Amino acid sequence: MNTQTASRYRQALDAIGASADRLASRRQALERFLASGLPTPREEDWKYTSLATLEQAEWHAPEQAPKTVVAEDYPGTLLRFGNGRLIDADPRVVQAHSLAAHADAAPVTRYLGQLAGRIAGGTALAQINSALWRDGLFLHVPARRTLPPLFVAHSASEADAMLHVRNLVVLEAGAEAVLVEHYRGSPDLPYWNNPVTEIVLGEGARLTHLKLTEESVAATHTGLAAVQQARDSRYHALSISLGGRLARHDTWVNLDEPGAECQLDGLFIADARRHIDQHLHVEHAAPHTASRQTWRGIAAGRGRGIFDARVVVQPGAQKADARQSSRNLLLSPHAEIDVKPQLEIYADDVKCAHGATVGQLDEAQLFFLRSRGISADTARALLLRGFVAEALTLAERSGLAGWLEPHLAAALPLPEKEYTA
Amino acid sequence: MLEIRNLHVSIGGKPILAGIDLAVRTGEVHAIMGPNGSGKSTLAQVLAGREGYTVTAGSVRYLEQDLLAMAAEQRARAGVFLAFQYPLEIPGVANVQLLRTALNSVRLQRGEPELDAMDFLDTVKGKLALLGMDESLLYRAVNEGFSGGEKKRNEILQMAVLEPRLAILDETDSGLDIDALKTVANGVNALKSQQRAFILVTHYQRLLNYIVPDRVHVLAGGRIVRSGDAGLALELENRGYGWLIPEAQEETRP
Repeated sequence: MNTQTASRYRQALDAIGASADRLASRRQALERFLASGLPTPREEDWKYTSLATLEQAEWHAPEQAPKTVVAEDYPGTLLRFGNGRLIDADPRVVQAHSLAAHADAAPVTRYLGQLAGRIAGGTALAQINSALWRDGLFLHVPARRTLPPLFVAHSASEADAMLHVRNLVVLEAGAEAVLVEHYRGSPDLPYWNNPVTEIVLGEGARLTHLKLTEESVAATHTGLAAVQQARDSRYHALSISLGGRLARHDTWVNLDEPGAECQLDGLFIADARRHIDQHLHVEHAAPHTASRQTWRGIAAGRGRGIFDARVVVQPGAQKADARQSSRNLLLSPHAEIDVKPQLEIYADDVKCAHGATVGQLDEAQLFFLRSRGISADTARALLLRGFVAEALTLAERSGLAGWLEPHLAAALPLPEKEYTA
Repeated sequence: MLEIRNLHVSIGGKPILAGIDLAVRTGEVHAIMGPNGSGKSTLAQVLAGREGYTVTAGSVRYLEQDLLAMAAEQRARAGVFLAFQYPLEIPGVANVQLLRTALNSVRLQRGEPELDAMDFLDTVKGKLALLGMDESLLYRAVNEGFSGGEKKRNEILQMAVLEPRLAILDETDSGLDIDALKTVANGVNALKSQQRAFILVTHYQRLLNYIVPDRVHVLAGGRIVRSGDAGLALELENRGYGWLIPEAQEETRP
């Protein structure tokens, strides 16, 4: 990293003006980040995705007062963040807070940075977040409490700002919550969103976590979710990536104790010139752990999608059960999707299966629908709907399908005619 | 209603149909029989508008229109229906969604108002009963996880909902046990009317015990080699197709 860029990051840290002791750990994170620099395609995990545009841009810490970009009705309680800072919070929510305002709370001092630190790849991005975060969600659900759906809306409205939102979610034993993160920005605005979300699930805790990414067409989104699961906990996640010029989503799940289960579903739509890269990493670190992944990807125009998912079954994690399914659809001859499912199994009594396909809309199905009087365009749209449906079961189950619907409807592209198989 | 003249069709340069002549009037039921590879299914697909086939000669008139010039969806809206030999699975698309989208596309063409969800359900429930189908099949993905019999019944359900003028059933009887066959045949018989014609493409005579055809045609080598009444089907059942094939090769025979 050149001196000029490095000093820009240092200035950003000075602008934050954190208290002295926390400043020391922030400086440490910053120096680690400056030493390693942004990840490059020379690293295996970044083979398909270049952050060169991030490297070149002149980012600054956001200066403007936060404001919301688009008004939207959310079917639940709401916390709104603008340019990385809290705008307002629904007074009905007592378990969700500003992380900055609760930086000294016991779960924060205990867990913050612990999970992100366990992750091998993508550390540089987590480090710069650790150095420069201003605020984010701190959700703490006490034991055996159930939280109604909580929406956290993040909006970006400042050009060339870098936003390092930091979220911490702690569910104590037996607690249950539905969390929806929604990221969006002013149309055509260039900015860089680099959120880090750490999630700690206690024994028997259940979290349903939906992330909807609708950044502006000029924005870069690099997001990390790191999850730690205790015995018999459930983490059900659905990531829907519809926007941004470049989006990279990293999800790390550590199934640390027996009976822990995760379901990591997702949908990405890489149309126009979008580049959407998702990396999943699941560590089966204990026996009787289970993971499920159901992903659907669509690339249209000159879009590019990447699905890279690694499941590691550690020695001793007997009876682990891991299933991956990734189906992808190319709607244009110039679109590209790379799929890299990986299973690393170091235990002998396990059930692991993965399937990955990249194809085009099926000409026979299209003809079938047209032979019922349905126009070619409507038939294509129906097939696309059908294609994505399987990845969205979590939205149905958690009652979020209705809210999601208009977002999906706006994002599903029409396939180019005559491009079928 | 349908007039096929000297229809020649090839796939990838390979001729499949070599001069089909066939006239179907409203109210009639025609059976097209023939050995495997005789071109029966090709004829059905070409009439429904499947792409990938090249019509090298001949014409098809349907209700005073040039059928071959119409796109598949236009044909369907004009009343042509094909029940598929191998019904397709459409994961993620509910049966009810397919039926309603299809019916409203056809109604729009006829100048009729679209049906809302409630009216549509009333319409479709009667048809389900006719085919002995459970309402739960409406809410499952099209043909996904359906048994062979359910898939075929689902084709007939689509036909019953769309109420076509010309229905072509491509080996709808194949793979059905006798009970399912009767159910399907009852469904077809219930839809028989003076305004509607049927073309039953079948390999076996069995279906014709339940749906009695007005005319039976034997297709071999891409041509109709013999036509007759329902008695022809029985004769085929007894004698097989072999005795007709040499006749096809001696083309000059009356």
